Amino acid sequence: MALFVLKRALLLGLMLIGLILIMFTISHVAPGDPAAVAAGPDATREMVEVIREEYGLDEPLPVQFWIYLTNVLQGDLGRSIRTTRDVTHDLLRYFPATFELVMVAMLLAVLIGVPLGMLAAVFRDRGLDHAIRLVSVSSVALPMFWLGLLLQFFISLKLGWLPLGGQLGLLTERPPPITHLILVDALLRGQFDVFREALAHIILPAIALSAPALAAIIRVNRAEMIEVLHQDFIVTARAHGISQFRIVAVYALRNAMIPTLAMIGLRFGWMLGGTVLVEGVFDWPGIGLYAVQSAVNSDFQPVMGATLLIGFSFMLANFMIDIAYGWLDPRLREAQ
Amino acid sequence: MQLHPRRFARLAALLTAAVLVAGGPAAETAQAFERKGDKFILVFGGRQPVPQLDPSQKYDWSTRMMQQALYDALVKYEGDPPEIKPWLAERWEVSPDAKVWTFHLVKTAKFHNGDPVDAEAVRFSFERTLKINKGPAWMLSSVLKPEGIKVVDPHTIRFELTDPFAPFLSFVPWWYVMNPKQVLANQDGDDLGQKWLTDNAAGSGPFRIKRWEQGVLYELEAVPDYWKGWRQEKPLAGVIYKLIREAASQKAALQRGEADIVEGLSPEDFDIVAKMPGIKVENHPGMTTFGIKFNVQQPPMDDINLRKAVAHAFDYEAFLKIYNGNAKLQTSPFPFATKGHIDVPGFTRQDLDKARAYLAKSRYPDGGIELEYVYVQGLEEERKMGLVLIDNLKPLNISVKMVPLTWPNMTARGAKLESSPDLMAIFATPVATDPDAVAFQYHKESWGKYYGTSYYDNEKVWSLIEKGRRVADWSERAPIYAEIQKMITADQPEIFGMLANRRWAMRDYVKGFQFSPVRFTGEVDLYTLEIGE
Repeated sequence: MALFVLKRALLLGLMLIGLILIMFTISHVAPGDPAAVAAGPDATREMVEVIREEYGLDEPLPVQFWIYLTNVLQGDLGRSIRTTRDVTHDLLRYFPATFELVMVAMLLAVLIGVPLGMLAAVFRDRGLDHAIRLVSVSSVALPMFWLGLLLQFFISLKLGWLPLGGQLGLLTERPPPITHLILVDALLRGQFDVFREALAHIILPAIALSAPALAAIIRVNRAEMIEVLHQDFIVTARAHGISQFRIVAVYALRNAMIPTLAMIGLRFGWMLGGTVLVEGVFDWPGIGLYAVQSAVNSDFQPVMGATLLIGFSFMLANFMIDIAYGWLDPRLREAQ
Repeated sequence: MQLHPRRFARLAALLTAAVLVAGGPAAETAQAFERKGDKFILVFGGRQPVPQLDPSQKYDWSTRMMQQALYDALVKYEGDPPEIKPWLAERWEVSPDAKVWTFHLVKTAKFHNGDPVDAEAVRFSFERTLKINKGPAWMLSSVLKPEGIKVVDPHTIRFELTDPFAPFLSFVPWWYVMNPKQVLANQDGDDLGQKWLTDNAAGSGPFRIKRWEQGVLYELEAVPDYWKGWRQEKPLAGVIYKLIREAASQKAALQRGEADIVEGLSPEDFDIVAKMPGIKVENHPGMTTFGIKFNVQQPPMDDINLRKAVAHAFDYEAFLKIYNGNAKLQTSPFPFATKGHIDVPGFTRQDLDKARAYLAKSRYPDGGIELEYVYVQGLEEERKMGLVLIDNLKPLNISVKMVPLTWPNMTARGAKLESSPDLMAIFATPVATDPDAVAFQYHKESWGKYYGTSYYDNEKVWSLIEKGRRVADWSERAPIYAEIQKMITADQPEIFGMLANRRWAMRDYVKGFQFSPVRFTGEVDLYTLEIGE
């Protein structure tokens, strides 16, 4: 098992270096002069050169890459040429917001998706199954930003139940950071009013973000449940007079959850990289919006930093799934 | 079947209840404005963040709105038409050759930490901006060197320029004065406080920073004993600049009372909210011109007759329709608020007969060419203008290829004569009301900048521009700029378009809004605002 984990960890390291190389190349072959953009529309040529020199953009590309790589290994992701801000510092600010949103969205998708998938399987081809199919098809068909705007319009503007956007009310101060996740920090600090306010703010963006994952979880879980419910051990369980609820919710679900869990791991990575639209609609200060704003301004360092962080999270999630698979299925370990 | 849908329904009801409990208190309609004791905090919803606050490094609209609130300059633009008013300087003199500018400071001004604003602080601030050579440095760096900034006495500062420069005063409002003690105390190495001033301020303005949550909101609190005093009966306790990036979200925030002023609605939404009770819209002609620049040095647009043909084929009324009438057609290359603006006689308008006549005189009498129109990706107004172009040029047998690019890619295309496209959609905002600020966009020194992508080439105009900035007496300058406007118009380096109105939607209890066209899109003078009962 230790060798298996070691091999996977080495592969993770190689993939990270590959990711850095690809990102760096794409960023630097893209048209546009970041120094000119950063200097501003009225800047003189001398002013552009000052910025080019300050950020090392006058060095040959291989030298720039080497400097970047060695800095990254020391935890320094560079400075934004547009804002002059430290990228590592910015990511530490924006990533927790995205992570928190993704966690809540995933929690919603699992808490709603798994029971719905289970119900759809149990009531296969009956009214409830069709109704749940409608939910899953709508969830995957509605673009996230559109769903977000609809939620804002009806839930916030028309009904006034939940706030329009942001993480907290205007005059509410963030709890002193421990984990940098507002919900968690508010609880740890015993600031329950802040917790409730943060919860109210996160619900709508989390619903909008969770929609595609919800649809996928419902469909996968339904299909797996249908398959499992026809297996011999379920027939045996029924013959032993075990209650239907126990058979479905305990025996069948446990077996059906294995592929669903793998899918949740992948979806988690996708969600981390795909929050930008929801963040835009709900003014959620997350990493997606940060990366996109930087990209449209040819601001490479934040784009590379954000991609690296998201890529690393994605790889880490899959690394853990690989380990979990290896642990669950000895045949996989032996095959390695 | 023991697992019944009712069981699920109960579970769903429980979940919904949990959601409502969390959302309960927020369900109340938000206050129209936030309060601090018996004073009010105004909430401004804006699309653009303020990632860099240092007055020596950046000056886009949102940044400058905050800088203007936190800092003071020697003079300040106010009103419509914009006038330069005394501020930290109570008066000033200029030598007859426009080379020596002397400012006399007020004696009452003080920084937020209590230090006096004196001539040394002014010298330090100007020198810092010149040394860092970023942000506003370009405005004066060609004529002002650090050694030319002289402290005459604690309340008098003199600028000795290397060359006569009549527009000098018009740029001074954007050179804010910083507290040298605070800046130097927070240096990181020899960075002149650049890192520290990114998120901090060392000014003397009417507000100071209370909260600076990057990417979320920026909260300012009013300085009760601001040296300049407060004009309002009940000044604001503070201002929250909240980032609301989507136009639809801005509209919703205004309707729901989560923002008191918003700036980024679509033209249609401005018209819609203007009719809503409790909301008003400030609607004023700005100084931002929209033009479609021709590359006048590359075929086919190097042919003046082709340029005239295209300009006469264009339906100028379409500009007004795109903005639902909230725009004004240009009557000169200069915006209306620019000093010395004239209505150029015979300014180009749509005339298909003239267009055909010019085309007949060009190298392309039968058309049969395709022009590339480059515009900013995602900017709907510019896309619509491209569609108008396609439609208008069909009768001339000229086709148009629309190429949307991101702003950096677009400016990179325009940075070189060879790659600058046939037609490029450009919004240009001059930073000052002096005519030099616009005229210089047509000087060869501006080639390659976003407003210089036409590579305009007329040595007579260039020498007039150079002459204009060296003459101190306005009665001598005015005819020069009138001539420049006529000559540029005759050369038709672009389709001279329109000036879209600047608009803000706000709750009707917001008072004291003062428009000045020299401010950038979205920028508001927060100092004059108040909330009425």
